[in-house]
Amino acid sequence: MTRSVLRRLAQLPLILVVIFTITLALAWAVPGNPLENPEGPQPPAEAVEAMKARYNLGSFWAFYGTYLDRASGAGYVRARLAGERPARVFDLGPSLQYRDRTVNEILGESLPVSMGLGALAMVMALLLGVSAGVLGAIKPGGWLDHATLGVALVGVSVPSFVIGAVLLGVFTLNLGWFPIGEWGTLRAMVLPALALSLPYAAYLARLTRMGMVDALASDYARSARAKGLPERRVVLVHALRNALLPVVSYLGPALAGAMTGSFVVEVIFTVPGLGQHFVAAVQNKDLFLIMGIVLAYSTMVVLLNLGADVMYRWVDPRTA
Amino acid sequence: MARLLAPLLVLTMIVWAGLSREVRHGRADFVFVNRGDVSTLDVQQMSWLQDFRVAGLLLEGLTRHDLASPELAPAPGVAGRWDTSPDGLTYTFHLRPDARWSNGDPVTAEDFIASWRRSLLPENGADYARLFHLIRGGRDFYQRRAGALARFAGDRSVGDRGRAAADLWCRTLEDFSNSVGLSAPDPLTLRVELEHPVPYFLDLTAFAAFYPQHAGSVREAERVDPESGAVRTDPAWCGAGRLLSNGPFVLESWRFKREMRLVRNEHYWDAGSVGPRTIAIPSIADGNAQVVAFRTGVVDWTSDVTPAYRGEMLRQKEAFYAEQGGEVERLRAAGVGPIEIDRRLPADPRSCIHALPSFGTYFYNFNCRPFLADGRANPFADRRVRRAFALTVDKAGITRSVRRAGEPVAGTLIPPGSLGGYESPRGLGFDPPAARALLSEAGYPGGKGLPVIELLFNAEGEHDQIAQAAAKDWALHLGVSVRLVQKEVRSFREDVKKGNFMVSRASWFGDYGDATTFLDIHRTGDGNNDRGYSSDGYDALLARAEREPDAALRRKMLSEAERMLVEDDLPFVPLFHYAQVYLFDAHAIEGISDHPRQVQQLWRVRRIGAKGGVP
Repeated sequence: MTRSVLRRLAQLPLILVVIFTITLALAWAVPGNPLENPEGPQPPAEAVEAMKARYNLGSFWAFYGTYLDRASGAGYVRARLAGERPARVFDLGPSLQYRDRTVNEILGESLPVSMGLGALAMVMALLLGVSAGVLGAIKPGGWLDHATLGVALVGVSVPSFVIGAVLLGVFTLNLGWFPIGEWGTLRAMVLPALALSLPYAAYLARLTRMGMVDALASDYARSARAKGLPERRVVLVHALRNALLPVVSYLGPALAGAMTGSFVVEVIFTVPGLGQHFVAAVQNKDLFLIMGIVLAYSTMVVLLNLGADVMYRWVDPRTA
Repeated sequence: MARLLAPLLVLTMIVWAGLSREVRHGRADFVFVNRGDVSTLDVQQMSWLQDFRVAGLLLEGLTRHDLASPELAPAPGVAGRWDTSPDGLTYTFHLRPDARWSNGDPVTAEDFIASWRRSLLPENGADYARLFHLIRGGRDFYQRRAGALARFAGDRSVGDRGRAAADLWCRTLEDFSNSVGLSAPDPLTLRVELEHPVPYFLDLTAFAAFYPQHAGSVREAERVDPESGAVRTDPAWCGAGRLLSNGPFVLESWRFKREMRLVRNEHYWDAGSVGPRTIAIPSIADGNAQVVAFRTGVVDWTSDVTPAYRGEMLRQKEAFYAEQGGEVERLRAAGVGPIEIDRRLPADPRSCIHALPSFGTYFYNFNCRPFLADGRANPFADRRVRRAFALTVDKAGITRSVRRAGEPVAGTLIPPGSLGGYESPRGLGFDPPAARALLSEAGYPGGKGLPVIELLFNAEGEHDQIAQAAAKDWALHLGVSVRLVQKEVRSFREDVKKGNFMVSRASWFGDYGDATTFLDIHRTGDGNNDRGYSSDGYDALLARAEREPDAALRRKMLSEAERMLVEDDLPFVPLFHYAQVYLFDAHAIEGISDHPRQVQQLWRVRRIGAKGGVP
């Protein structure tokens, strides 16, 4: 197993270079000049020229080369060998839109927020989804089954901006239970995490229910019942363990999705995460920020999938 | 089974780890949502209202606006007094000795000179560099420096580039002090010589682009780049803990896209007039979230109300006014300002929204160039065609059914009443028969012979609905067919800049209290002349006004210039003047200004009923 993990880690840089090349080519092709303002007073032509030289925006290949050199850490290694002490190993450059900020700073501030939010959403999705799935599978076709499936259907179909607006209206504006516009407490995370978790919870509920229905009808469940075990033990110990295996393998991609795909929820609930930057960066044609976010996201997706695979093998000894 | 709980455990640990690194503050005395996120605190790089607003809390210029006077007369700021030479070309500012930076250093003339010099260095990319071309020798210096940098970067024969770049910088500094009309006879005296009389110069010195920076801390952050020869400033110099203030507040922390916190500057000379001890500016981008944050007491003032139900909120306020039995009309007739009216009426959540006049106009550019970007002849090169299109937009319909913010229909570019003593021209009205006559005269009777008219606009906001309304009017009254071209804002901007449009959406907000802040953008070759408009008569009139010493006569000339634009030549058709829509409780706080220039002095904000000026 160690070997396969190492092999996949070794593939990571290659994957990143491919993603980097494709994304930069696309972002470069987007029309518009990031050094000008979309509206209002425009900088003088002399200033635009000077800034273009400063950010190396004159030619695609020059930009590609210098960016890759700094972002990959190669520039850092060279500088260290020359006896200098650069501030960062992976230097993702300055933001063109927010000129006081470096992309490293922006990622450092907002990536942990998105990760925390995604993780909490996943916790909620697991608790909600698995319990709903188990309840539904106890008596397939019963009213509880229909009810949980119905709720799951709603969870999958209703877009998060609708759920978000409803949650905000009810729990923040009318009941005042959860705050808005502040961040850093569990209370502030509850609503956005809930809004983010619902589609995943719904999918997990269906996944769990399917596994449970199969497991409860299987031979080993029948043997367990025949031994005289109480039904609760059959459901929670014998059947659930097997039914949850597909859930575990779904967790990796789901967590990656929840951590990176929370853009809409972040905007609705004013979450200071990375998602909002992603869209804004594309609109502003902020090349450094686009590339920084794409690299961070791709690394996360690869690592989370790897983590999920490792965990799956650990949970299910048959695949080890 | 225990292994199955491991994923849950790992996730919970991630959440916990994320929460444990958070630092929490108590609620600040005054919390407001800015118009958008601040993009920089380096005043020489600023170009957005939200940046200027924060700059006004951290820094103070030579003068500041007197908000009590309708024309925003200049009042003493860092300069306690000033003298103007009889020809209006030289200003001598006497800096007050008690003006201090937040580390206790005195504010000196050198701080201003060094700061303004940064605007005149092309490598700093200052959007407002043009304003500094008013200073004698400023434009020439700017162009010389740009040329020198280009030559240096292109010259690969230089051996020791580091040394050569440093030499170039020394020569540039010398050139600046020899050729640009800025000097400091002593540390507390600043002498400014201008290219021509600038009657609004004392208004400019109150504008953020003219604020000083602490020369010492900027110098420490500067280094000369050996490759390009340009001077680079490490942006960390304007971060929390390093940025020095000479204004009412100091930057305490700035968590990007999250929250900025300011605390009172103990060294500010006018600390007595400062209300709040702390100000927080949370970053709340979504319009609905902003309203919820206000309603739940998280913020005191939302400075740009944008959700889709804004029109409904304004209608509810109208309903509230209607319940007051004519009191509102009585107060208006007595000359009471709009915010004060709300304060005198009984408190009501419906009256917390305020639609106030602003210093900006929404208009459509007509492409005035003889040919379109694709080489076709441009029908809008003929001003009769432009007039015909301008005469047939039902502007009142747009403000009534699309904008719904009570915005005034615009006949002019400059919002009438926003500039003291300036008489606005009347502009054109809505007159389809006259428009049809003009169109026939231009050779397009009943719209025949005109190509499909393309109306270019950017995808955000309500621009699509406004464009649909205008297109419908033109089709109905002129018989032309209109194609709507919607683009994402950056590519929209690219097209406008290249002149690749027939009609395009535009807006302009004034920066300082003079008509030229709106009129200069129509000069031939101006960097903001998107319309490609060129009129010798107009240029000559502005040039004459520039040299006119008599203020009243000069205002008349500028008014005539605007008349040429909005009644004769129509390089654009003004649609409406923007409203600034605020959300705050006039019964809870005071000190927010309703001046149409949109100038705010937020350090004056106080909670009503608070004793001793401390909220």
